Amino acid sequence: MIYDICIIGSGAGGAPIAYELSNAGFNVLVLEKGKDYKEEDFNKDELAVCRREIFTPPLKEEQHVINERDADGSITRYEGSKYNWNFWNGSMVGGSSNLMSGFFHRMKPNDFKLKSVYGEIDGANVVDWPISYEDLEPYYAEIEKIVGVSGKIVKHRFLEPRSTPDFPYPALAVNGITQYFDEACKSLAYESIPTPRAILPLNALGRQGCSYSNFCGSYGCATGAKGSARAALLQRCSATIITEAFVYKLESDDKKVTKAHYYDKNRVSHIVDAKIFVVAAQAIESSRLLLNSKNEFFPNGLSNNSGQVGKNLIFSAGGVGSGRFTFESLSKQKELMQAGLFFNRSLQDWYEYEDNDKKYKGGTIDFLFEHTNIISRATKEFYDENGELIWGEKLSAKIHKNLTTSRVLTFEVFNDWLPSDYCFVSVDEKIKDKFDMPVGAINLYGHPHDIKVGTHLANKAVKVLQEMGASDISMSISSSPPPNLVAGGCRFGIDPKTSVLDTNCKAHELQNLYVTDASFMPTGGSVPYTWTIYANSFRVAKHLVSRLNALNNY
Amino acid sequence: MSLNLSGVYSPIFLKTRRTFLKSTFCTTALIVLPKSELFGAVPILETIALVQEDLLPSIRKLDINSSSYLSLILHHSRVADDEKEFLRNGVQWLNEEAVLHYKHPYIKLSSSQRQNILQIISKQRWGDNWIYTMLTYIVEATLSDPIYGANRDGAGLKWLEHIPGLPQPKEPYL
Repeated sequence: MIYDICIIGSGAGGAPIAYELSNAGFNVLVLEKGKDYKEEDFNKDELAVCRREIFTPPLKEEQHVINERDADGSITRYEGSKYNWNFWNGSMVGGSSNLMSGFFHRMKPNDFKLKSVYGEIDGANVVDWPISYEDLEPYYAEIEKIVGVSGKIVKHRFLEPRSTPDFPYPALAVNGITQYFDEACKSLAYESIPTPRAILPLNALGRQGCSYSNFCGSYGCATGAKGSARAALLQRCSATIITEAFVYKLESDDKKVTKAHYYDKNRVSHIVDAKIFVVAAQAIESSRLLLNSKNEFFPNGLSNNSGQVGKNLIFSAGGVGSGRFTFESLSKQKELMQAGLFFNRSLQDWYEYEDNDKKYKGGTIDFLFEHTNIISRATKEFYDENGELIWGEKLSAKIHKNLTTSRVLTFEVFNDWLPSDYCFVSVDEKIKDKFDMPVGAINLYGHPHDIKVGTHLANKAVKVLQEMGASDISMSISSSPPPNLVAGGCRFGIDPKTSVLDTNCKAHELQNLYVTDASFMPTGGSVPYTWTIYANSFRVAKHLVSRLNALNNY
Repeated sequence: MSLNLSGVYSPIFLKTRRTFLKSTFCTTALIVLPKSELFGAVPILETIALVQEDLLPSIRKLDINSSSYLSLILHHSRVADDEKEFLRNGVQWLNEEAVLHYKHPYIKLSSSQRQNILQIISKQRWGDNWIYTMLTYIVEATLSDPIYGANRDGAGLKWLEHIPGLPQPKEPYL
């Protein structure tokens, strides 16, 4: 059987293609490495989900090698299994979108032209995108309706242009303590923004609304309110999904991909024929698959005669911070400890800012309560104020006091991780996975500029916490890569010498190969990626419908 | 409590320290060999249970079955082998330290002596890491979903006034 389209990976990059193409009547096959889960399979078992990490492969079976480049140019090699350094995000139907928190911000118009607007930066491969915000805006708007985005538009200096006045779903209910945040921002002349979320506040789209069970990030949603690729798209289309299918090689001639080879759970190899192949295995793994698929026509990896596959890997730069609110210092104890309700506040006042007469691209700050996970919260109490490990009655008392009479408000800073020659995906020469395939190597480097910008933003966030009267305020801005915020490796562009994909995310060097996960992004913007991955995938899907119509009518 | 040497003293088991520890852990007893001199064997689970109560006394009041939980962790496929080995070795090294300072294994020491040993090892890199790791699994046991059996009736969650997320698991992930 020859499928119209074979999609490798069922997450935010692959599912929109499956949804649009199958609903348009095409014969769509999705090959997903992980298992299928339904709403009824999800629960809030911290041990299973967050401590034993049941939704990602065991590192001793499948891992990454990390080659970290230090400021002096030296490189330290880490085998993921030995250092428990895990870059997997969610091997399951719908991918890591099942486990996201669903903080949904659009990229801004200037994010698409970073080089033109802010200029070159030494040591960074900053480029403009080959498309504009205006090209993507209709798809951002479409996703608000199809996936379900809730929130409330508040006009502010960096609000992006919109084709609709507001979100189709009202904002989720928030904790009463947010009023103090809004007041603090007002006194600081900051503009507090309700954080848009890919979470339905009410029953809609054939899914249940949020139950406010208070465990969004890292967990699958048991009501279906979260707009995962599975709940919002794959469960609402007729695409065929083969689970526990690990695609280890794409076969090609000099013009086209001809076959996908995959192992099933019993390690029996299968072959799939299709007219068009879409790779969406998440950024690192998509590059790895192309690099592992080298053949006589592409000796350096599929569609890699340019040498660009795997290059310009990016993450989200920035970091985190927090402050504690205690009963002693706050009269509204009851509101503070309200369980289940969201905090949902963001700041984008410094999406662009000036420092010493120089214009900088800044970013986004999201504020949220510390994750409710009780085990991880308790383990944070193991050290005293001097950084000494404590135990015994002293530890028992500290855990009890801090977890029952205070609550921690955290913030996350998102700014651009500048692409560079030193941050890229390759395949490791020594280590293979359980399928006997070379594992992906993450060559890691964070540009110092990222720290500078992240610190500028974090200092603003700290001021809000101070204004609110928080104690134990801390922040951490570093080049540590967040594994769930990864992009690049197959950047799209006009020039085949400096990019892997064309404007439609088709490989320059092959006629029927597309990459539609975050790999295509030349720069990442200063927001979480998921909404943009969805939007671009819907954009490419529209192109593919036209292309397949033409192919089938030929 | 008498020191039990039966069943563990064998030239094969003593071939390497690593093999020895791996093969005996959580079965019967450990042999403590300070300065290469055979001192004796100590019951392992009793040592672990006592260390856990010394590290987080609340577990006794809450009736947390923390030592059984640690046995489960030591056989869990998702826990790295290196970590399991480190946990096992730590019990041995703790006892070696106890014998070195007080000429008795950990479980034979008074409460203040045991706290002193914990203080001593916490100044060493392995000891600091081992205590941290032990504490992590004690807290896991204390605050795990009751379905895992260690946190009976959710006593640990009630202690911290924690409302579990819904739905709770219907079966343990082991």
